[in-house]
Amino acid sequence: MAQAELQTPSTSALTTDVEPPRELLTINMGPQHPSTHGVLRLELQLDGEVVVHCRPVIGYLHTGIEKTFEAKTYVQGVVLTDRMDYLNPLGNNLAYALAVEKLVACEIPERATVLRVLLAELTRIASHLMFIGSMALDLGASSPFLYCWREREKILDFFERISGVRMMTSFIRPGGLMRDVDAEALATIGHFVDAMPGYIDSYEELLTGNPIFKERTEGIGVLSADDALALGVSGPTLRAAGLNFDLRKTNPYCGYEAYDFAVPTGTVGDCFDRYLVRVAETRESVKICRQALDRMPGGSVRTTDRKVMPPPKEELAKSMEAVIHHFKLWTEGIRPPAGEAYVGVESPRGELGFYVVSDGSGRPIRVHERAPSFANLQALPKITEGGAVADVVACIATLDPIMGEVDR
Amino acid sequence: MTTPAPPAAPAETETPEPPHDPLRAALPHAAEVSIAADGIPTVRVPLERLLEAIERVRGELGHTRFVDLTAVDRLQREERFELVYLFYSLDQRTWLRLKTRTDAEAPSLTGSVPGANWYERELYDLFGIRFSGHPDLCRIMLPDDWRGHPLRRTEPLGSEPVDFTVTRGVYGTG
Repeated sequence: MAQAELQTPSTSALTTDVEPPRELLTINMGPQHPSTHGVLRLELQLDGEVVVHCRPVIGYLHTGIEKTFEAKTYVQGVVLTDRMDYLNPLGNNLAYALAVEKLVACEIPERATVLRVLLAELTRIASHLMFIGSMALDLGASSPFLYCWREREKILDFFERISGVRMMTSFIRPGGLMRDVDAEALATIGHFVDAMPGYIDSYEELLTGNPIFKERTEGIGVLSADDALALGVSGPTLRAAGLNFDLRKTNPYCGYEAYDFAVPTGTVGDCFDRYLVRVAETRESVKICRQALDRMPGGSVRTTDRKVMPPPKEELAKSMEAVIHHFKLWTEGIRPPAGEAYVGVESPRGELGFYVVSDGSGRPIRVHERAPSFANLQALPKITEGGAVADVVACIATLDPIMGEVDR
Repeated sequence: MTTPAPPAAPAETETPEPPHDPLRAALPHAAEVSIAADGIPTVRVPLERLLEAIERVRGELGHTRFVDLTAVDRLQREERFELVYLFYSLDQRTWLRLKTRTDAEAPSLTGSVPGANWYERELYDLFGIRFSGHPDLCRIMLPDDWRGHPLRRTEPLGSEPVDFTVTRGVYGTG
């Protein structure tokens, strides 16, 4: 909206005919504002309805996770990764596990790799469901949230069934998986995966053509591809700006090159594009899940490298060597050779990387998470300044920041 | 029966051509060039050559996309902080790691890469590394009146007093 329209003419008889100088109003949005997705605070300077200056203030969820890593063994560190991006716990487990596996250079059985892809994509679907629901809720439509939650619940039920936990699963570990997934659970999630495209259609029926929804998102918060790259933005937010960059395609890990899926991109880079890209991505993830289920090989889900994964229980009664390995793993943990490893994976929010530095002991001397939300959130001033204050909500929602990984 | 003559060893006479290393060519001041455990080429440059090296990494070497910046505290070294920059090339689809060492200060990258802004603030906050030329160098994770830099390895592990116990001292009421 143009600035001139917002000026209220001084019609009151009490006011002088001299126009007072316009004052900027500084307000705090958050950290408890429900649409800030956690504890994000924005210092907004407003000229009427128009945002002149926006400064994100973060750190309210800082718990020193990167410091805590230094006190934990490599396997204990897995539980910290869940708590960074709490909507993508298995994706975080995966990135961390891949980084540690690079350090120790161990081979992962095929079944574990395919299961990892399945779990990572299911987590992506769950995360995007949360995005679609909460974005609609932020813009005033409360029913899509309920439908998205209904389907997300099925995925969480599956996680609970295989790992015992709904969110903080710590299921993907250096060396493979926590344990195998039974055929019945896979069949259940298979039925869900087959029904999912229909569910996505129903969300799109509610939102994609909805004139109110389009009015709130089309042309709002435009971020060009160049600006996005300069600010370190990645993931769906970058792809909505038209740049085809997806680490699953460019630098495949876990055998993603063998799966058939498309990388949806946008054209304008506005809030509506960011929504469309994520919806299309959800459909692609469903395809990947189906392919993973179809090709699910048999075999073990743990590496045979006894310096990384403990031997199976039954071996302990028979083999002295197994007992030694077991003892060494539970007292010292994994001891990678001195070195460093960075592994970047495509999380629902962008390039998620773990940088792990080992000095040869049982505990890392540094673990750093390249959190996609941290970089993406830097683009918020760029896309909100000059727009209306009501659009800030749409901009935050479509950047989809998770404060757990922003603040770490 | 005659045994066939053993084939002449070719390695003796031909000295292998030194592999053309575009990294060394573009970064002549590199103190160290290696491939890390993750397969990412890693180059260490002296601190005073950092900005020049980054310009070349993003220019000649084509690794335009800034990905990450972090630090590792190597207590036993004289220049204890190792800054680790990570760049990505959208054409070659590869990462490139650039390292430098410092004891307290480094030049800011924000002039050419606005995305480095928060990363440098984070290092200032958690490691106490100052970035000269940064437009807004202040704490980002911790409260403004926090004392110390927790990711330094001299800070205690796992026994950081919680905010409530230090409130009296920090806010000057005690």
